[in-house]
Amino acid sequence: MKLSAIGMGRLLRFSSALIVLGLAVEIISLLWFHPLAFVLFAFVGVALIALGILVYLASLVFAVPSAHGNGSSS
Amino acid sequence: MFGLVEILIALIALTIVLAVFFLVYPAATAGPTGKILAFAALFVLPALCVAGGINEHMRRSEQTSFCISCHAMEPYGRSLYVDDPSHIPAQHFQNHRVPADMACYACHADYTIYGPFKDKLAGLRRVYMQYVSTPPKVIEISGGYSNLQCLHCHAGARGFEENPVHMALMDSLKSNQMSCLSSGCHDTVHAIPTLGQAKFWSPVQ
Repeated sequence: MKLSAIGMGRLLRFSSALIVLGLAVEIISLLWFHPLAFVLFAFVGVALIALGILVYLASLVFAVPSAHGNGSSS
Repeated sequence: MFGLVEILIALIALTIVLAVFFLVYPAATAGPTGKILAFAALFVLPALCVAGGINEHMRRSEQTSFCISCHAMEPYGRSLYVDDPSHIPAQHFQNHRVPADMACYACHADYTIYGPFKDKLAGLRRVYMQYVSTPPKVIEISGGYSNLQCLHCHAGARGFEENPVHMALMDSLKSNQMSCLSSGCHDTVHAIPTLGQAKFWSPVQ
């Protein structure tokens, strides 16, 4: 599968945005001493960060064919 | 002096700065240095931040102040200060038979391999009851209080093992057939309904 440079950039941007959001949620959860802070961290923060990492890893997988200059796998 | 939370927040701030850089300049990943930096900023550091966050939240959720920060748990927190040695939680808390800052966790944690995971699920059920559903009028432990939680500390202790009443009932106690909290034994626990008439201990500051 080939992705254009714009597509790669978008994936990286999307991944960065998700990670920044997730980390911001994590900071809020660390500064808030309440049982709901754990829920916020576990269900919102971790989900956003994990999704961001997955999108970044997906961008790496898609980057491999374009780095070799063709779409075939060796 | 920096604590673990401060170090974790500093690590998160650094990760945010690096992630924002790639948010603004995704083309920076064209070169090998940019690729390595992106790997650190978008994979290694966020994973470290999540691991640190899980560790901190797990540590925090073991604290007495965390448990009683829920409105429904406030009377249970007050019951730890009842000035009556027949109140089992108060006696353990006031005499530091359990760590005072982890009093709830010490007696209510499931000391099995998947115990902390099961405890977290049970805790989430209570959060759901508190904020989405309706909390029950009388809060009870599902399945009852297990003797294993008492025996985690008391089993093998001389005072426990050599007590004639305990010796006579040891098999029933260890197999959880007879509860330590049975009527006539250690049956005064948090005693929330009678808390209004109780006398309270004030620790010396």
